[in-house]
Amino acid sequence: MSDTTTNRLRILVLDDEPIVCKRLKPAFQKAGYEVETFTDSGQALVRLHETRFDIVITDLKMEGADGMQVLSSALETSPHTRVVVITGFATLETAKESFRKGAFDFVAKPFKLGDIIECVKRIEGEMRDGQDRTALRIRPV
Amino acid sequence: MNWIQIMRNVIKDIFAFWCPPSRQLPFAVLFKKFQSILERNNRILELMADMGDKLGGEYVFDRHFIEQATEQLGDHVFKLISDLSMLAQRKNVELFTAFERIQHLLWQELAGRSPVTGSSYVLNLESLGCDLTEQTGAKMGHIGDLRNRLGLATPDGFVITTRAFFDFMNQNDLLTRAVDGIGAWDGHDEKALTDLAEDMRRRILNAPLPRGLARQVSAEAARLIGARTGFDALLAVRSSAWHEDGESSFAGQYSSVLDVSADRIMDAYREVLASAYAATAWRYRILRGYREHEVGMAVGCQFMIRGAVSGVLHTYAPHVAEGIMAANAVRGQCASVVDGSATTQTVIMERTEPYRLRTVDSAVGRVVLGAGGGSSHVQTMIETGEAPLLTEQQGRELAAAAMCIERYYKRPQDIEWTFDDQGVLHILQTRPLRFWAAPEDAEPRVDAATRDAEVIFSGKGLVAQRGVAVGRVRVVRTDGDLENFPIGGILVAQHTSPRYSRVMRKARGIITDVGSPMGHMATIAREFRVPALVNAGVATTLLREGEEITLDTTQNVVYRGRISALDRFELTEADVFEDSYEYRLLRRLLKHIAPLNLVDPHGENFLPSSCRTYHDITRFIHESAVNELISLSERQGVSCTSSPRRLQTVIPLGLVLVDAGGGIACHDDGKVFLPEQIVSLPMREFLIGIDSCGTWCTEPVSVDLGSFMSSLTRTFSNPQAAGRNLAVVLRNYMNVHMRLGYHFNIIDAYLGDAINDNYIYFRFMGGVTDFIRRSRRAKFVADVLERFDFRVEIHGDLVVGRVKKLDRARMSMRLRMLGGLVGYARQLDARMHSEQDVSRHVRIFIDAMDDVIKGEHDE
Repeated sequence: MSDTTTNRLRILVLDDEPIVCKRLKPAFQKAGYEVETFTDSGQALVRLHETRFDIVITDLKMEGADGMQVLSSALETSPHTRVVVITGFATLETAKESFRKGAFDFVAKPFKLGDIIECVKRIEGEMRDGQDRTALRIRPV
Repeated sequence: MNWIQIMRNVIKDIFAFWCPPSRQLPFAVLFKKFQSILERNNRILELMADMGDKLGGEYVFDRHFIEQATEQLGDHVFKLISDLSMLAQRKNVELFTAFERIQHLLWQELAGRSPVTGSSYVLNLESLGCDLTEQTGAKMGHIGDLRNRLGLATPDGFVITTRAFFDFMNQNDLLTRAVDGIGAWDGHDEKALTDLAEDMRRRILNAPLPRGLARQVSAEAARLIGARTGFDALLAVRSSAWHEDGESSFAGQYSSVLDVSADRIMDAYREVLASAYAATAWRYRILRGYREHEVGMAVGCQFMIRGAVSGVLHTYAPHVAEGIMAANAVRGQCASVVDGSATTQTVIMERTEPYRLRTVDSAVGRVVLGAGGGSSHVQTMIETGEAPLLTEQQGRELAAAAMCIERYYKRPQDIEWTFDDQGVLHILQTRPLRFWAAPEDAEPRVDAATRDAEVIFSGKGLVAQRGVAVGRVRVVRTDGDLENFPIGGILVAQHTSPRYSRVMRKARGIITDVGSPMGHMATIAREFRVPALVNAGVATTLLREGEEITLDTTQNVVYRGRISALDRFELTEADVFEDSYEYRLLRRLLKHIAPLNLVDPHGENFLPSSCRTYHDITRFIHESAVNELISLSERQGVSCTSSPRRLQTVIPLGLVLVDAGGGIACHDDGKVFLPEQIVSLPMREFLIGIDSCGTWCTEPVSVDLGSFMSSLTRTFSNPQAAGRNLAVVLRNYMNVHMRLGYHFNIIDAYLGDAINDNYIYFRFMGGVTDFIRRSRRAKFVADVLERFDFRVEIHGDLVVGRVKKLDRARMSMRLRMLGGLVGYARQLDARMHSEQDVSRHVRIFIDAMDDVIKGEHDE
């Protein structure tokens, strides 16, 4: 692949509802990102150990390993990965817990495609600036 | 609605008034219930709009959302009925029954049991579309889309549904036989498969039909055929199975029987059903991974067409050349192209206007068309210069229709078409065209193609329907601009308007400066899958008439010029979101939720038992609650917290106001309110409009002044004769019931700063003259309302207009306009002597109202 490919941000999307993957994949591809999608959290965890992703977008409530486990595991293997949690069961509690565990953002379903792409672009911007504001913001002592 | 009924209702009301009051709850308590009904009513309407909005593709939602929204809605509707029971102090058993019926249907849909809930054996083509494919199969579903959505000609006919198939098969134990038979097959023994298929075929051809099926089909056929004879009375009986013409084409797997006379339809029907169990079809299904329970066969019956020139067209043929469509044409019927028995002429047409047409050497530039499974590689293309079978005009017409179909399905299409001996184009079939090679790798990536493109604006406004549209800008300012709207144009306008539904079939995209994705126009754009961006603010300023642009609402960008890569990306995307299971489910659920069947509160069907959707129940309760409140305030008038009092106006309107909270300033013990005391925003605007009535009726030019003034005095001098003119007002709300002369108006309006809360519901009916004149007046009212972007329904002389989600200023203007309209239309029917009077009065009215509405009607 060409040089431009290597600069593309790599995104992993995990949601047990196939429709979410089906909608996100082309939208991210079109915006110029490399995307892999999973509907099974076990397979996603395996993939996360194999290779580094810049961004992980994960559902919360799933069979097997849930979103919190995926979140922790992703950050363990690659601390620079940004994790965005998407959920149809958004509560203040789950939001707080996600942030405490190091999520970059917490998005309630249904959400607009434009908003999630905006969120990814924000992450991209911060990565390009080489700033790690989020890490400072969300990981107090 | 007739006069006797009105009288009956009036008399009923009078008797109700005389009824001795039973033990009542205090008015304050009941009024709280009333308010909660209004609030819940609005909440339900919002939820419904919100669910509809999700169909636009801008949101990512899943099954959980659909379940949750459906449950929430049901919960509100249930509580709404309970609130009414409390307000009206009766049990409302029928409403609860209607609710349970609808809720049961929704649960069935959610449980995936919708396919055979349809109880009809026969469906008319007019009712068909892509949402009924479980009952009609995809092939006939597409025919429905072509006719009913895209306005293209298809042969007339009807469908025998999958319900008939399942009843037939189950009644004769044939489904179990098929499942068991194929389950026992080892996958190799060809002889065993052939024997099984032969056995199934024999049984199907000899089994008795379900009760009533033959009768229903023959009645439908008789209705269809009418006085036709000979060839004109013959039908094509065609397979339309589940999954056929969908992700797998099943091309050539199932049978069609041609030239069928009315008395042979059921034989042909059995023949088509039997083809589902031919050995080849069974093998195809197994190969493509279909399970036996996924077999469902609907059958289409359509007239045969005397084809003069026919063929197959692929809207996209990258193996021949970029930017072209390819067609194989033949003289006569289409069948010979499809089965490959005729030598055909290959023509190619450009994908953009004026769709230039060329013939190419079919030996060298051969495109293998027909069986729907893709196209073969072709190296060279040699123009032959041979005279094409299609005229230039026919070529253009075919190409425009093909592009319209492709745009709707967002997929390259494989289309069977024919021009009959009268030169009329009929589309016989359309199915997605599959490619062998994914063209993605060979082409420039989307982000590379858009990197250098000039962006006119981006990130502005709200997406009402996702998609990509390439076309020339057409700025629409007046109705005249809609008259000659060009096919494939991109509609650019200041405001959204349901009037644009007229050009939805022609427009490739829509961009407006102002508007809401939850408004009526957005709903219509979604129905037609036209990419739409609303509230963009700058469209009419930055976009020039006639310039070519690319509107990409998937990224919310408008580019200068044509960005073909974007268009291509959409055509080759793995999934079309509108066709995914969740979208189909949501659309099916909304059918039991959103349509409004109870439009006329005085109509015979305005009953709890007639409620077929949640919207119907909501509408019924709203109406009942308002009526209830009117009688309550009359019965309990003196004892209630804010007793109804007459509004003192220059024109005596006989209007009694009930302030339900913050609608009127400085309460005192007097018997009247003064207009200055009114705080209610919508009521203030409405009264300004009514007052303007005084201004324009002194204009000497407008109407027959003498008779008008005399009728005005006649009506208004006796408030009792003016009917029960009652208004309930809150600070941002009013509900007005107004009988003026012999007609009856209801206005229900909310006006505030939150655009999404704003709405006006206006209903107008009645009159004493003959029906034709009343209809003319109804037409007048409807025309005026449409000019102000109301969505209008006319039923005889009943006019219902709705407008919602406009900003406060535009809503205020419309309320003022309604004030004027109520006065102007009062006895207009007496003066409606000819059809021309309708448009004349529309002009006079709008001119007369000019001061009050400040020329905004030109928008």
